[in-house]
Amino acid sequence: MDNPFKGEHLLPGHLGQFFTILAFGSSLFAAISYYFATNNPTDTSWKRVGRMGARINMIAVVGIGACLYYIIINHLFEYYYAWEHSSRALPTHYIISSFWDGQEGSFWLWTFWQGVLSNILIWKAKSWESPVLAVISLSQAIVATMLVGVEILGSRIGTSPFILLREAIDLKKEVPIFATNAEMYHSYLTYVAKDGNGMNPLLQNYWMVIHPPTLFLGFASMVVPFAYAIAGLWQKRYTEWIKPALSYSLFAMMVLGTGIIMGAFWAYESLSFGGFWAWDPVENASIIPWLILVGAVHVMIVYKNTKHSYITATILTLTSFVLVLYASFLTRSGVLGDTSVHAFTDAGMFWHLVADVVIFLVLAVVLLVIRWKELPRTNKDEETYSREFWMFVGAIFLCLSCFHLVVVSSIPVWNLMFGTKLAPPTDPVKHYNIVQASFAVVVTLLTGFTQFLKYKKTDSAKFFISTVVYLVVAALITLPIIYFTGANKLQFVFILIMVGAIYSVLANGKVLIDSLKGKFKLAGSAVAHIGFGLIMIGALISAGTSKVISENTSGQDFGADFVKVKNNPRENIILYKNAPVVMGKYTVTYVGDSIAAPNHYFKVNYKIIDAAGKVTEEFLLKPNAQANAKMGLIATPDTKHYLFSDLYTHVNMSNAIAVGEGTEAAGHDEADDDKKYEAPIPYEVAVGDTIRFRDGYVVLSSIGKVDKVQDITLNDKDVAIGAKLHVVANSKTYDAEPIYMIRNNNAFDFARKVEDAGLKLRFTKVLPQKGKVEITLYQQPESAKKWIVMRAIQFPDINFLWSGTIIMVIGILLSIFRRNKELKTA
Amino acid sequence: MKKSSIFGLVVIAIAIAVIISVYSNSSTYGSFKDASNTNSELHIVGHLNKNKQLLYDATKDANYFSFYMKDNKGEECKVVFTGAKPQDFERSEQIVLTGQMKGNEFHATHILMKCPSKYTQDKVEITEARAKQASI
Repeated sequence: MDNPFKGEHLLPGHLGQFFTILAFGSSLFAAISYYFATNNPTDTSWKRVGRMGARINMIAVVGIGACLYYIIINHLFEYYYAWEHSSRALPTHYIISSFWDGQEGSFWLWTFWQGVLSNILIWKAKSWESPVLAVISLSQAIVATMLVGVEILGSRIGTSPFILLREAIDLKKEVPIFATNAEMYHSYLTYVAKDGNGMNPLLQNYWMVIHPPTLFLGFASMVVPFAYAIAGLWQKRYTEWIKPALSYSLFAMMVLGTGIIMGAFWAYESLSFGGFWAWDPVENASIIPWLILVGAVHVMIVYKNTKHSYITATILTLTSFVLVLYASFLTRSGVLGDTSVHAFTDAGMFWHLVADVVIFLVLAVVLLVIRWKELPRTNKDEETYSREFWMFVGAIFLCLSCFHLVVVSSIPVWNLMFGTKLAPPTDPVKHYNIVQASFAVVVTLLTGFTQFLKYKKTDSAKFFISTVVYLVVAALITLPIIYFTGANKLQFVFILIMVGAIYSVLANGKVLIDSLKGKFKLAGSAVAHIGFGLIMIGALISAGTSKVISENTSGQDFGADFVKVKNNPRENIILYKNAPVVMGKYTVTYVGDSIAAPNHYFKVNYKIIDAAGKVTEEFLLKPNAQANAKMGLIATPDTKHYLFSDLYTHVNMSNAIAVGEGTEAAGHDEADDDKKYEAPIPYEVAVGDTIRFRDGYVVLSSIGKVDKVQDITLNDKDVAIGAKLHVVANSKTYDAEPIYMIRNNNAFDFARKVEDAGLKLRFTKVLPQKGKVEITLYQQPESAKKWIVMRAIQFPDINFLWSGTIIMVIGILLSIFRRNKELKTA
Repeated sequence: MKKSSIFGLVVIAIAIAVIISVYSNSSTYGSFKDASNTNSELHIVGHLNKNKQLLYDATKDANYFSFYMKDNKGEECKVVFTGAKPQDFERSEQIVLTGQMKGNEFHATHILMKCPSKYTQDKVEITEARAKQASI
C-alpha cells in the first residue's frame, strides 16, 4: 500500500498497534485459561496455556512501551502522542517523563506493573496461581482495552497512543490550505509537525520522572490482595488467603504511600499554591484507596491473630481495589471538570471507565453474596481490653475518614446522578482539614494505646496505668512544642492531633526499644507507626504555622473599602530590581536575571542583617519561569531548605520576561530607546560635582581624552573626550564613561547605560567658558524598571514530614520481611 | 446489646454526621443576582468580558486584580480578586468564581478558569488561582 503522505514512519505505529491488540488478546486468553485451570485442577494443560498467555502479554506490553519510546525519542511527530507531549528541545530525562504525561502512557504504566506482578505470582503463588492470575489477567485485559483504540459499532474503545496526528486532528479544518492543496497536505509534516508541543513546564521536574511509576506500581499492586480475596471466596479457601496476601498488601501500602508523598513533595517543590497538600480531588483520589488498604491490612492482622473480623478483612480488601478503579474513573473521565485543577479531561472514555468499576464491583458483591452464609465468623464478643478490638476500631475510623473524602470528592458525581446542583465547600481546605483532623486524632491515639494492649485479653489496671502515664508525658511534651512553633494559636482539634501524634511516637518508641531487647519481630509496626506520627507532626506544624513573609503592607489607593475586606491576605509583594525590601528577618533584593533557555531565573538575594548592621547570613534563591509560547508564563518556585524550616519563594509576575524571549529582534534605533526613559534632564557640572536622581547620585570624577571609541578608529583630527562618572544607586556603585567626540566639525556623543540603576548618561556638551560640561541624564520611569511580584512563605519543620515518610517505609519493609519469614516457617 | 452492635451504631452516627457536615458546608452554584441576595459565599460560573478593562498593575498594587465577568444568566458584574492576576487570564473561556458580593463588587477568594488549549480545539486545560495560601 502506497502512503501518499511524505516522511511518515508508519512501522513503529503499526507494530505498536499490533502489540496493543496482542496485549488485550493474550491477557483475555490467560484469564479464560486460568479460569478453567481453577475449575479443573486436575488438568494441568489449562494452567500451562494460561502461563503462556500471561508471558505473551508481558512481551506485548514491553513491545508497546518500546514502540512508544522509539516514537518519542526519535521525535516522530506524525504521531499524536509524541507531538502532544514531547518536543525536540526536551532534555532526555524529561523525554522519559513525557512518556507518561498523557492518559495512554499512564495506562501503560499500570498494565506494565500489573504484568510484572503477574509474572512474579506465576513464580511465587504456588497453589494460588490459577485463581489469582485469573483475576489479575481479567484486570490486565480491561486495562488493555483502554489502550486498543479500535472502533467497534461506531464508537471507539480506548485511546491508542499510536494514533497519527492527522487522524487525531482534522488538519484540513485547522489549516485551510490543506483542504485545497492536496500536495501540501500530503507533505504536512514539513509544515505543521516539525516540532512537538513539549511538556508542561510544571511537569519538567525530576520528581515527575519517578513519581508516576511509583504511584502506578502502588495502584497496580492493589489488585493482588483483591485477587487473593476473590480466590479465597471462589475456592472456598476462606481463611487461607489472608496469610499470603498480607505481604502483598503491605507492599502496596508502602509503594502507594511513597507515591502519594512523592506527589506532595513535587507539588511543594514546583507548584505555585504554596504547600504540599491542597485536598484537590485528584490528590484525594490517590489517598482514598490507600486509607482503606491500611484499614484492611490491620484487620487482616487481627484475623490472623485472633480469627475475629474475617468478613471485615475481606470486604475492606475488596473495596480497596474497587476504589482504585473508582479513583481512576474520577480523575480520567472528566467528571471533576469544574472542581479540580489537574484532572484529565474526558477522552471519550466515561462509560468505559464506569464499566471497569462496575465489573469488579459486581464480581466482588456477587461472590460475597453467594458465599455469605459459609463465611467464617465468631459469635464470641471481643474483649474490650484486647488489642484486636481497638485495631478494628482504628481500621473503621480510617474507613470513615475515607468515606468523608469519597463523599466530598464525588460531589460532581452526585450532581450527575441525582441532578442536584451542589458545589464543593467554599473553603474546601478548611473543611477537609477540620473533618479529617478529627479522624486523625482518633487514629493517632489508637496507634498509641493499642500498643499497651495484648491480643485476646489484657490486665486492665496495668493497661490504664501505662496509657495514662504516656498520655500525660505526651501532653507535657506537646506544650512547649506548640508554644515555640506557634501552633498553640491553631484550632483545638489540631492541638489534639499533636498530642495524639506525640503519644503514638512515644508508645511505639517503647515497643521499638523492647523489640531491640529481643522481640525483634515487633519492630516493623513500631517503626511504621513512629513514621506515621512524625508525618502528622510535620504536616501539622508546617501547614499550620507556615507564615507568609512577603506580606505586603504598603497599602495602595484602591479605596478604603478594598483594604477593609477582612482577612485580606496581601501575600504578593513587588520588588524593584536592586531595591532591597525588608520582610521579616530577611532583607530581600531582586538582583538580576539569568537565562538558560527555556528557563528564566530571577535571582533573589536574601540577607539576614543583625543589629550591628553585619550580614550574618546570605543566600540566593532562583525561582524561575518559562515564557512558553503555547502555555503562557509558567513559574516554578525555589526553596531554601534549612534543617528545621524551609523558605519558599515564588515569582508570580514580572516585566523582565516576555513570551518568546530570546527571539526578539536585536537593535532598536536610538529614538525608540529614548522612549523608555523619562524626559532627559541636562546638568551643567564641573569635576567633583554631584547630580542627584531618584535612586542615588552621580559624581563627575574626571574628564580626559580617550584614544578609542568602540570600533571607530580615531585619526589625528578627531577629538574624543570621556567623562568618568561614578554612579551610586541603591547602595551599589557603578562606573560609566560617556564620550563626546568631534569629527569633521560635527559633534557626536556616545551614551552609556547603567542598566541596573535604570540610567542612561550622555556627554552632550563641552562648555569651556564655564569650565563645565553638560551631562544629560535619562532616568527610567518607575514602571519601566524591572520588577518581580513574588510571594515568600516560611514552612517550619516540614522535614518531619519527609523523614517520617522514610521511617514509615522502612517500618513497612521490616513488616514485609517478618510476614515473609512467617510464610516460610509456617 | 453486644459491643459490636454499639460500635456499629456509633459508626453509622458518625457517617451520618459526615454527610450532614458535607451537605451543610457545601455551597451552591448561582448568579450575581443570587449573590446580591445572600451573605454567604457561593460559586458563580461565567465568562470574562474581554471588551472591558482588566486591571492589574503590579507597580501600584501587587494584590489587586479586577475584571468584569458575565454570569451564565447574562448579568455582568465587576469582580475584585485579592492577589496577582492568574497567568493567561485573558485567554480563559470559562471562569468559576468563589466569593461574595460587597456592595456592587463581587469579591472573589478563588478563581478557577478553563483555557482553550491553543493547539487543539477539542481539548481544554484548567488552571486556577487562589487568593489565600492553603492553611489550616
